[in-house]
Amino acid sequence: MALKRKKASQNESDDADELNAEIANLEMLTDEEEEEQDDSASFDDGQVDDFPEIVQSSDEDESESEDVEDEEDVDEHSSSENDSDTDDDSELHIFPKAKTVVSQITGQPKLVYPDIEPEYDSDSSTEDAPNRVGNIPMHWYDDLPHIGYDINGKKVLRPARGDELDKFLATVEDPSTWTSAFDKNTQTDKSLTAQELDIIRRLYENENPDAAYDPYEPMTEWFTGKGKEEIMPLSAAPEPKRRWVPSRWEKQKVMKIVRAIRQGRILPSKPKSTTKMEFYAIWSQPTAPVAPPPPAPKLNLPLHSESYNPPEEFLPTEEERKEWEEQDIEDREKDYLPNKYSSLRLVPAYDRFIKERFNRQLDLYLAPRVQRVKLNIDPNSLLPKLPSPNSLKPFPTYRSLRFVQSSGRVRCMSISPEGDWVVSGDENGIVILWEVNVGREVKRWKFSGKIGALDWCPRTDACYFVVTTEETIYFLIPPNLTATVFSLTHSLLAPTTLPPTTSSPVKWETASSGTWTLDKPILTVKLPPASGLPIQTTWHRRGDYLATVSNNGAQGGVWIHQITRRHSQAPFKKIKGVVQVVLFHPSKPHFFVATQQYVRLYNLAEQKLVKTFMPGIRWISSMDVHPSGDHLIVGGYDRKLCWFDLELSDKPFKVMRYHSRAIRSLHFHPTYPLFASSSDDGSIQIFHSRVYSDLMTDPLIVPLKILRGHQIREGLGVLQVRWCHSQPWLLSAGADGSVAVWCS
Amino acid sequence: MGRLKQKGKAGAVKAYITRTSAIRKLQCSLADFRRLCILKGIFPREPRNKKRANKGSSAPASFYYTKDIAYLAHEPVLKKLREHKAFAKKLSRALGRREWSTAKSLEENKPVYRLDHIIKERYPAFIDAVRDIDDALCMIFLFASLPAGDRLSTELVESCSRLASEWQLYVLQTRSLRKVFLSIKGIYYQAEIMDQLVTWLVPYQFTQQIPSDVDVRVMLTFLELYQTVLGFVFFKLYTDVGLVYPPPLDAAKDEGAAGIGAFTLREVTHVSETSNSQPNHKTVEVDGRKVSGKDVRQAIKSIAASSEQDIADSVMSVPEPPAATAEVDEEFVPQPSKSDSVDTSLRTLKSLSSLPQTTQLSLFVPYTFFLSREISRPIFEFLIRSSGGRVGWPASSGSGSPLNENDESITHVIIDRPVIQKTGETSEERERRLRRKYVQPQWVADCINAGKILLEGLYAQGQTLPPHLSPFEEYSFAPSSEDKPDEDMNAVETEEEEEEEAEEEEKEVEQSDSTVEMGDEKGESEDPEKKASKAIAKVTISEDPAALRAAELAAEAAGMDYATFAKEVKKLKKRSHVPSEKDDREEDMNKMMMSNRQRKLYEKMKYSQRKKEAEQAKLAGRRDKLMKERRREAKKTA
Repeated sequence: MALKRKKASQNESDDADELNAEIANLEMLTDEEEEEQDDSASFDDGQVDDFPEIVQSSDEDESESEDVEDEEDVDEHSSSENDSDTDDDSELHIFPKAKTVVSQITGQPKLVYPDIEPEYDSDSSTEDAPNRVGNIPMHWYDDLPHIGYDINGKKVLRPARGDELDKFLATVEDPSTWTSAFDKNTQTDKSLTAQELDIIRRLYENENPDAAYDPYEPMTEWFTGKGKEEIMPLSAAPEPKRRWVPSRWEKQKVMKIVRAIRQGRILPSKPKSTTKMEFYAIWSQPTAPVAPPPPAPKLNLPLHSESYNPPEEFLPTEEERKEWEEQDIEDREKDYLPNKYSSLRLVPAYDRFIKERFNRQLDLYLAPRVQRVKLNIDPNSLLPKLPSPNSLKPFPTYRSLRFVQSSGRVRCMSISPEGDWVVSGDENGIVILWEVNVGREVKRWKFSGKIGALDWCPRTDACYFVVTTEETIYFLIPPNLTATVFSLTHSLLAPTTLPPTTSSPVKWETASSGTWTLDKPILTVKLPPASGLPIQTTWHRRGDYLATVSNNGAQGGVWIHQITRRHSQAPFKKIKGVVQVVLFHPSKPHFFVATQQYVRLYNLAEQKLVKTFMPGIRWISSMDVHPSGDHLIVGGYDRKLCWFDLELSDKPFKVMRYHSRAIRSLHFHPTYPLFASSSDDGSIQIFHSRVYSDLMTDPLIVPLKILRGHQIREGLGVLQVRWCHSQPWLLSAGADGSVAVWCS
Repeated sequence: MGRLKQKGKAGAVKAYITRTSAIRKLQCSLADFRRLCILKGIFPREPRNKKRANKGSSAPASFYYTKDIAYLAHEPVLKKLREHKAFAKKLSRALGRREWSTAKSLEENKPVYRLDHIIKERYPAFIDAVRDIDDALCMIFLFASLPAGDRLSTELVESCSRLASEWQLYVLQTRSLRKVFLSIKGIYYQAEIMDQLVTWLVPYQFTQQIPSDVDVRVMLTFLELYQTVLGFVFFKLYTDVGLVYPPPLDAAKDEGAAGIGAFTLREVTHVSETSNSQPNHKTVEVDGRKVSGKDVRQAIKSIAASSEQDIADSVMSVPEPPAATAEVDEEFVPQPSKSDSVDTSLRTLKSLSSLPQTTQLSLFVPYTFFLSREISRPIFEFLIRSSGGRVGWPASSGSGSPLNENDESITHVIIDRPVIQKTGETSEERERRLRRKYVQPQWVADCINAGKILLEGLYAQGQTLPPHLSPFEEYSFAPSSEDKPDEDMNAVETEEEEEEEAEEEEKEVEQSDSTVEMGDEKGESEDPEKKASKAIAKVTISEDPAALRAAELAAEAAGMDYATFAKEVKKLKKRSHVPSEKDDREEDMNKMMMSNRQRKLYEKMKYSQRKKEAEQAKLAGRRDKLMKERRREAKKTA
C-alpha cells in the first residue's frame, strides 16, 4: 500500500516537474534534490495515513523547515493536503471537553475542564505566533518591509497582500472569505473556525459566548409544580346570571340586522366592483344637439412608397439611404425607408410599430392643436393681376451706352432741361460735361475734394448748373451756348449791379469779369465753415431758389438760396433729426424735408408744418415727388420703398421691398408715367406709375424691368438715377465709376 | 368714463391656464391629470400670444383652456381617482398591519370608474364615434397581437383580441371592406361604415416587443378608453344590423386557434324565439344584480344549443347574409363557370373598369379559395370572406376550416412559395392542380382595390409580381411596361431609338458649337452650316416668329434643306422645354407688388409645389431609366 502510494506520488511529482519544465520553464532541479523531495513526500504520506494525531507538530515542523530551507517549488499537492489535515486536527483540541462532576462540597453537578498542563506545547497559541512583537500598535511597522520579529529575533517579512481587486476576487471565488478576519499580528487574513464563528454569533445575539453555559441551572420551584396547586377560589361571590342567560340586547341587535337583510336593506354579499364594462345602447336616447368637439386629425394615408412591393423607382439609392440613416429621427421626412420584398411571406415585422402608435398617442393628448383652414388655391391666383409690361412701353430696356468717368465713384449726375447734356461728378473732384446721345466728353472741370451734388438749373432761358464741394457751391456755365442764353445766364449769375447784401453767414462771390473763363465757376457760394459737404441740391421749379442739404452744420444743414437776390437763408432754426433729403413741391409753396425716419411737409409761405409722414423706414435715403405733386415716394437704406398719397394719409399707401440692398436713389420721370429706383445691389428697377386724377382710383404701380449692368464696388451699387426730360431714357451713375444711358 | 381694466382679469390670462396651475387647481397628481386628459380628450391649446397668457412670463409652458379644466373639476372620474387614492392608502395600511380580511374586503369594494358618460360626452352622436375609431382599432389590433406578460394582463389581451374579432366579424358580415394595402408597416384596411371611411392598420403576425422608451401606462390608459368606445360602437353596430352583441364565443374552437371563426353571429329575433336568453341578457345590462347562477347556467346551455343549431344550418359558422340582399347580389353575380372565366380573361382592362362598382361587395362570391400553409390565415380569411368568397385552410393554420384541401369546389389556391416540380403525382392530383388557379397573395389585395377580378396570370405562383400600389394615392403613370400592348411597346421603342439618335446628334452639335465659339474668338471664318444651326439654337431660345424666319433664311443660305431644318428646330425645342425665363421674371416682378403676408403665403405654396414637382420629376426620371434598362436587357436577350 505504502509502496503504491509512493509510486503514485513519484509519478505525480514527475508529472509536476515535467509540467514545470514545459510550461513555466523554471529552474531545473538536480537529481538529488528531486530524490530528497520524493523522500519527504513519501514520508509525509506515510505519516498522514498512520498517525493522524502526531502529525500536527511534526508536520508543522516539517513545513516550517521546508519554508525555511526550500526556496524552490514544493510539491504543493502534498503540502496543501497536509495543511488541511493539520487544520482538522487542531479543531479537535481548541476547546477541551468539560466533564460533569458532582461537587463534593455542594453536592451539585458541575463542569470540570481538564487542567491546562504547562508543558512546552500545551498552549500553542503563544508559540504559534511567528511574530513576537506583542500587543503593540502594528502601524509602527507600516513603513517597514517586515512586521516584527520571530522568536529567534529574525525579521518576519510582511506577507504579500493583494490589492483591492484581489480582495474582491477573493470575496467572489473563495467561499471562506466572509468567515475570515484580518489578523493584525501576522498581517494576513485568517479564516475563523467553526467555534470562533459560533462565539461571534453568540456575542452578536447577546448570549453567553460559552455554548455549554446554562443561565437557569439552579431552579427552585416555590409555588408551582406538583402538590402546590391552589384549589380554593379567590372570591366567594356567586356566578352572575349574565354568564348563562342569552342577552336580549344582543338578540334585538341581531334581529335588526336579520330584518334588514330580509327587507333587502342590507345585501349579504355586496356586488363586487368589477372593471368589466357592460355595454348598452348609449346612443339610443337623443341628446341636446351639442356640437361635438372637433375630432382629432387623422393620420395620413399610406403612399405607394410604403408598399411591400413598391414600383422600383421608389426604392432609395445608396446615398438616400445613407442620408436617411444619418438624419435625426425627428428630421426625417418619412419615418420608414421604402423596401421591396419579392413575396409577402418575406416581409418582416415593422420594428417601430409600437413606437409609432405611442407617438401618435402623445400627439393626441400632449400636442396643442390649431385648426387651420387649408388653402386650396392656385398660388398664381395670389399674384396681382397687372398689365403686361409689353403693353406699357416705352420704358428703358437696354443700355445704349456706358460713359466711363474715372476710377472714383460717380456720386451725382444731372441732365440739362433739354435733355442733351449730362454733367457728372465723381469723388475725385472731376465734373465732366458730356453728350447723352453719343457719350462724347465736351468739357471737364476739376475741383478739390469730393463732388457732393450736381444739379442743372431747370430754367430753359438760362443755362447753368451748380456743383457742390466741401462747404462751397459753384455755379458753372457750360460751353457752346447761344449768345442770348449765355448773356442771360451771365447777367443772372454775375449782374453788373449787385443786389443789396444781407447779413448772412453765407458768402456769395462772383468771379471778376476780367479773369473769368468757362473753366472757372462764375459764382461761388461759401457756406458757413464746418457745415460739411452739401450732399444734395434741389431747384425750385422756377429755377430761382436752390435748396442744399449739408451733411453737418447748424439748422439741419438746410439752406435755401435765392439766385436773383443773392441771398441765402436757413429755413429752420432748429430741426429734429438729421436732414437727409429736401424737395420743393412741384406746384405749391411747400417744402419736403426728410429726416432719418420722418418726412415733414412745410408750407414755406405760411411758415408752418403741414404734415408729417411716417414711412416706417429706419433710415431714409432718398425721396422724390410725383410731378403732379400728389404723390411721394420715399426710399430707405433698409430696402423699403414707400408710396405716399399726400391727400390720403400720413401712412404709406404701399410699401414694397424688392431690392436686396439699400435703395440709393429714386426719380420720377417728369413727363412719362415712370419712376426708377436704384440700389446697392447694382440693379435699377423701372416701374410704371400711373396716377389718376380721380380720387377713388388707386395709383397703378407696375414693375416693368430690372436693369442690371453696374458693378458693385465696396458694397455700393448704383448711386443715382435720373430720367431724361423728354425721352423715356434713364441715366444711372454707379460706384464703378461709370454712367450708363438706358434707352427704350 | 369706463371702468379701469385690471390686469389679469380678462382676456388670454383668464382663458388659458398652464398645466401646473391646472394640476394645482384639480388637486391631483400629474399622472391622474394625464389620465383625465386622455380619457376626456382634453389637449393643450396654443394661445395666440403666449406671453400674455402666461402673465407676462415667456417661460415655456403648455396651456389648457380654463373652461376645460373647470369642467374637469366636476368630473366623476376625478372623484373616483381621489377615492382610489384613499383606497390605496387604506389597503397599504391594512397590508402593513397584516389585516388580511380587511384588505380583502377593501379590495372587493375598490372604487372603479366608468367611462360611459365620457363616451356620450365626447361623441354625442353615433356618427362622431364612428368617425373617430381609427386609432382605437389600430390600438386594439396591436394589443391583440402582443404577448401577455407582467406588463400586460392576459385579460387585457384577450379582451382586445375579442374586440378585434368582433370588428372583423362585423366588417365581414356587412361586407364593408373597401380597400386593403399591404405595406411594410403592416396591413392597412379601409372599410366604409355608415358612409364613413374607417382606416386601420394591423401589424403582421409577429411577436412585438414593447420598446423601453414607450410609456406603457399612457398606452394602457388610451386602451381603456378605446375598449370602452369600441364596445359601445360595436353594440350599436351589431344591434343595428340585428345581431346579438357580444357574439358568443365557442371556447373549444377558440382553443383550436379558429380566430374569428370561434364567434357565432346570431340574429336577435331568431334567438329570442329559440330561447329566452335575450331578455335575460337585457336585464343583465340594465342592472347587474338580478342574475343568479342558475340563469347564467341556463343561458350558457341555450347558447350552446343555438350555436349547434347554427352550425347545423350552415357549414360556416357565420350565417348567410339576409336573404333579400343575397338575391340582389345574385343579379350581378356571374355564374362560376369555365366559360365565364375565359370570358373575363378575354375582356380588356377598359371594359373591366367600366363594370359597375356594386360587384365589389361580392367580388369573390363565385370563388372558393384555399390558403396554403405559409399564408397568414387571419388576414386572408378576413380579406376573402369580406368580399364574399369561401375560404379553407389546412389544419396547421388553425381549426375550423370549412373546406378540405381536396374539395372539388376550390377554384383558387393562394400560395406564396416558389414553384417546385412534384415528381410523384397521380393523375387525379394533376387534374386538380390544373383545374385550380395558383395565385400569390397580392392578387387578393389588388383585386379588392381594383374592385374587379384581375387576370391571374401576372400573379401566378413563382411569377415576379407587378408592383403593389397604394389604393389611397393615385399612380399617375402606367405601372409598368408589361401592361402595355405590344404595338405600343414597339412605338415606344422606335421613339426611343429616335431619341437616342437625337442624343448622339446633339452631342455632335454641341461639339460643333464649341468649335464655332472658339473660331469666333479667333476671328476666323465659320462654316456656314454651323452658323445656321447656331441661328436655329438662338431661335428656339427666343421663340420669336421673326427670328425663326431669319434662321430659316440663314439655313437656306447655308444650303440646308427644310426637312433637316425642321427636325433641328423640333429637337432643340424638345431640349429646351424649360418654361421661358421671361415668364418667370415677370412673375418675380409681380411678386413685389404683393403684400408681405401674401408673398410669404405664395412663397410657401410655391416651395411646396416645387418640392412636389421635384419629387415627381425624380421618380419619373428613375422610372424612365429603369424602363430603358429593362428594354435594353430584353433586347439583348432577344
